[in-house]
Amino acid sequence: MRKIAGLTAVALITLSGLAGTVFSEELITLRGGSVISEETNAPAMPKVENTDQRRVRNYPEQPPTIPHHIRGYEVSKNANKCLSCHARTRTGESQAPMVSVTHFMDRENQVLATVSPRRYFCTQCHVIQLDSKPLVENTFMDVEDIFKNGKAKQ
Amino acid sequence: MIGIVRKIWRLVCTTWVNMNRPAKHLSIGFLSLGGFVAGVIFWGGFNTALEITNTEAFCISCHEMGDNVFVELKPTIHYSNRSGVRATCPDCHVPHNWTDKIARKMQASKEVWGKLFGTIDTREKFIANRRRLAGHEWERLKANNSLECRNCHSAEGMDITAQSDRAATAHQTFLFTGEKTCIDCHKGIAHELPDMTGVEGWK
Amino acid sequence: MKLTRRDYIKANAVAVAAGVAGIQGEANASNLVTDSDETNLKWSKAACRFCGTGCSVMVGTKEGKVVATHGDVKAEVNRGLNCVKGYFLSKIMYGKDRLTTPLLRMTDGKYDKNGEFTPVSWDMALDTMAEKFKAAIKKNGPTSIGMFGSGQWTVWEGYAASKLMKAGFGSNNIDPNARHCMASAVGGFMRTFGIDEPMGCYDDIEATDAFVLWGSNMAEMHPILWTRLTDRRLSAPDTKVAVLSTYQHRCFDLADIPMIFSPQTDLAILNFIANYIIQNDKVNKDFVSKHVNFRRGNDDIGYGLRPEHPLQKKAKNADKAGGSKPMSFDEYKAFVSDYTVEMASELSGVPENRLIELAELYADPKRKVVSFWTMGFNQHTRGVWANNLIYNIHLLVGKISTPGNSPFSLTGQPSACGTAREVGTFSHRLPADLVVKNPKHRAIAEKIWKIPSGVIPPKPGYHAVQHNRMLKDGKINAYWVQCNNNVQAAPNMNEETLPGYRNPEAFIVVSDPYPTVTAGAADLILPTAMWVEKEGAYGNAERRTQFWQQLVDAPDGAKSDLWQLVEFSKRFTTDEVWSKEVLDANPEFKGKTLYEVLYKNGNVDKFPLSETNKDYANDEANHFGFYLQKGLFEEYATFGRGHAHDLAPFDVYHKERGLRWPVVDGKETKWRFREGSDPYVKKGTGFEFYGKPDGRAVIFALPYEPAAESPDEEYDMWLSTGRVLEHWHSGSMTQRVPELYKAFPDAVVFMHPTDAKKRNLRRGQEVKVISRRGEIISRVETRGRNKPPVGLIFVPWFDASQLINKVTLDATDPISKQTDYKKCAVKVVATGRV
Repeated sequence: MRKIAGLTAVALITLSGLAGTVFSEELITLRGGSVISEETNAPAMPKVENTDQRRVRNYPEQPPTIPHHIRGYEVSKNANKCLSCHARTRTGESQAPMVSVTHFMDRENQVLATVSPRRYFCTQCHVIQLDSKPLVENTFMDVEDIFKNGKAKQ
Repeated sequence: MIGIVRKIWRLVCTTWVNMNRPAKHLSIGFLSLGGFVAGVIFWGGFNTALEITNTEAFCISCHEMGDNVFVELKPTIHYSNRSGVRATCPDCHVPHNWTDKIARKMQASKEVWGKLFGTIDTREKFIANRRRLAGHEWERLKANNSLECRNCHSAEGMDITAQSDRAATAHQTFLFTGEKTCIDCHKGIAHELPDMTGVEGWK
Repeated sequence: MKLTRRDYIKANAVAVAAGVAGIQGEANASNLVTDSDETNLKWSKAACRFCGTGCSVMVGTKEGKVVATHGDVKAEVNRGLNCVKGYFLSKIMYGKDRLTTPLLRMTDGKYDKNGEFTPVSWDMALDTMAEKFKAAIKKNGPTSIGMFGSGQWTVWEGYAASKLMKAGFGSNNIDPNARHCMASAVGGFMRTFGIDEPMGCYDDIEATDAFVLWGSNMAEMHPILWTRLTDRRLSAPDTKVAVLSTYQHRCFDLADIPMIFSPQTDLAILNFIANYIIQNDKVNKDFVSKHVNFRRGNDDIGYGLRPEHPLQKKAKNADKAGGSKPMSFDEYKAFVSDYTVEMASELSGVPENRLIELAELYADPKRKVVSFWTMGFNQHTRGVWANNLIYNIHLLVGKISTPGNSPFSLTGQPSACGTAREVGTFSHRLPADLVVKNPKHRAIAEKIWKIPSGVIPPKPGYHAVQHNRMLKDGKINAYWVQCNNNVQAAPNMNEETLPGYRNPEAFIVVSDPYPTVTAGAADLILPTAMWVEKEGAYGNAERRTQFWQQLVDAPDGAKSDLWQLVEFSKRFTTDEVWSKEVLDANPEFKGKTLYEVLYKNGNVDKFPLSETNKDYANDEANHFGFYLQKGLFEEYATFGRGHAHDLAPFDVYHKERGLRWPVVDGKETKWRFREGSDPYVKKGTGFEFYGKPDGRAVIFALPYEPAAESPDEEYDMWLSTGRVLEHWHSGSMTQRVPELYKAFPDAVVFMHPTDAKKRNLRRGQEVKVISRRGEIISRVETRGRNKPPVGLIFVPWFDASQLINKVTLDATDPISKQTDYKKCAVKVVATGRV
């Protein structure tokens, strides 16, 4: 319900350039059309996308999102479950992608023997994805689409 | 004090003497039947006691278990999952076949000792001992080819098409081939981990 | 490796797709574009838009769009790293619902408080707004207008706004959202040191042996500082990390000394440590005798509620909360002697051995120690006290102002320091720690601003929480909100905020890039340019000022806060806003517009357009015809230069990855108050706390006092609110980035499994969280990153659909006026729905 209303609000705003379009508190996109004083139902708890399929990155520097669940994966001063597959020495067995070379660099950009402790807590940059549908579309453009579009215009 | 000990000792001696004397007034039938009944009662009692010590409630009646490992178990998949089938402490930590179970129970006398002397009666002590204690369980499971895991998770019963890609690949490559056993990869699946420095697969 | 059937199908699908693309595309020899015209990106530096850490990011642009962002390897703060939010900065400006036209509530073509939002032109929007502000001033004087700003304003936006309100409209009713965030920290600094902001810097992290986190979940809220802390802890294994919190969070993953304490009892723990240091003869007597005074602060100071509230009436010192009297060391020693380890342990629930281990980190003369805190201390009805009490400890052992010894107040917002605090956008402040109450300070400001004496009112304006109370009471009639989402943030929304915003006697303007909850509660919405769509400057928690250029254009129709403020000033003349006495005494100002008085004043318009960087656009400078940002900055900088707040020349900041003030003779200052590292410390003193007239910092005797509201039989749980890693504040930017949204889409109620079981609740169940003030509907979470103890729940506030501020209490610290978002009493019940 919330999501449908949200999309309607987006549609309204997109149209707002047109004369005579009016709307009120329903314009609060992230509330999906419900007024501030009201309480809406809470959406059901979504599930973790656990497909193991790599997702295309928005740009090369973007940390890849985690394509699997990480429930109970301990990352503490005692142990790092992520590295038990993604560490350089573990990837042969696990066939998981190796943490990138940037992760071996210290603050002075010196490459260390192992992953730098500044990169120790993986979830500061790498996050799981739940199967919720975003409330608002994002119009960020992939740089390759930008120059393809440019070419098309020519 | 010495008087009481002397009295008990005297009682033990008389009983022993009486027990060793052949029955004068009882029939052989009564004796064998009685022996049988007594045996059943004794065995039943033993078994009941064994069963009681083999429940989660018994395990977590000690705060060392209740406040440490049991709390850690709760958010994990072995406590809370979609079908509600869950593992209790003895499912994983007590062997199911009789001889191994008795052997494990005999080992448990050491744990009683530990309880009495407070080896892990604070969080700090527990954490300090965690690597050693976890090591015992890893060794046991490694030695018995993860028997307690396999009591529920049989390789034959595993439908890899219902698993995630990476799980299916790992199971096909390592589990079904016998190259590895469950505990090799699944350490820390139900409890927090100790310092894993030097542990195979975590280096 | 063998190809499985599935792999084969996948590979084939790619080949087919490539084939199709090949047919449609050009006859390229390669499937890699290599033409440098197309592949070259323009890379420029910028400060991250989010937290107070102040990371520098590199922003890649192509054809007017941001196409990539990554951590700046040249920046000392983050050395190439970003957190997940920072890595996704590229997408924050591209939510499809960006506002591009002003929207005014209208019925039949006319403004109507209950009308529908209708697109209007910028002229109509600003004219209507000016009419409302003029009407309010005319009817009820300058205290009837107000502005609510932000620690996310750029430095010059905050400066232009503060000037417009204080020097233009003659109203001190301007306050930033930093009041919700940093006011207690400011109060603590001013009381103990007489000058705001930390003495140390982030270099302390690599120099120390021990970290103590007091109510700071750095792992999620200051992730990049957490990477530095983790780096130090794991690469130097003797380092210790102590974490104190009212619930278990991600920082506990690294904790050597983890401690969960009952809410509010941090005050007792702090006093226990001071007592432990004294009892064990670990006081640095030399340091204390030379550099410290002792004072007894007033106690029983109330809870910053409305004066008619019973708790306020009962409090002995509610009206003189900040008062104090001198005392001796021996009196102080006697005062803290009640705080024994037994007492602190009993009250807090932290085992005695851990309290002693913690106290030893401070007491041990061989160990260096950094204390970090954020909202756990600041959002506290005794927040200023908590700040004072931690300084007590560092001062007693002299572990301060030296590398690795640092009581370090972290800021929440990217420019809470640079804008809200340094510029002085609070209702009682002026730039560079000057205050409106002090006639000398007002005279300094009026001189720099070239305005007549008497324009700046001496009485402090309304503070943030009071803004909403005054809107509700009809005392503020025209109100402008910029760069924040206060209807989602301010406490007790049902009883104070919303009735205030919807009061027919009030006209509410909200400037925002997106239709936020606050925008929805407004009467006029102004579509606003954001982040790198304008030239900007932020100041982070270690006094580092950082600049960026305008890297892309805002969407057509959206204008920056700065543009809006300056353009608005054109619509007022001095005759309409200044008193007759002031004008009669200064006839040369008669008939002038505020634009002429405030911005075309010979200072702000001093720098011509030719000084702007030709490689970048500058919409504001081009619109007004002079280098507006540079003029504002240079005028502002005159307040602090020579007064221990020295900023470098404007152009320097465009080259540097930020500099830490005071910048004297081109050199930044890493540690203040210590001879040799701070140019303001006199030779031979060793240390000098020059914010105080006698150069001595103050140790305050302050007791433990209970929270404003504690759980009882009916409302049987504590509620703490806060942020999550993936979302910035109210989520208005990060909820529009799909990857961040999908990482944490909806707020949840983090709860102990035992509490859930007791209430017959289970994970995922829909529940109501109810307080005496309001309720929200959410879902139970019994696992995951936050693990509250029995009796406490944690609900994050980023979710516009679950407005937890309907539930929170508007109790504030009576000294700092900052809200306590960490403590109130609630109950949790099932909704009965599935």
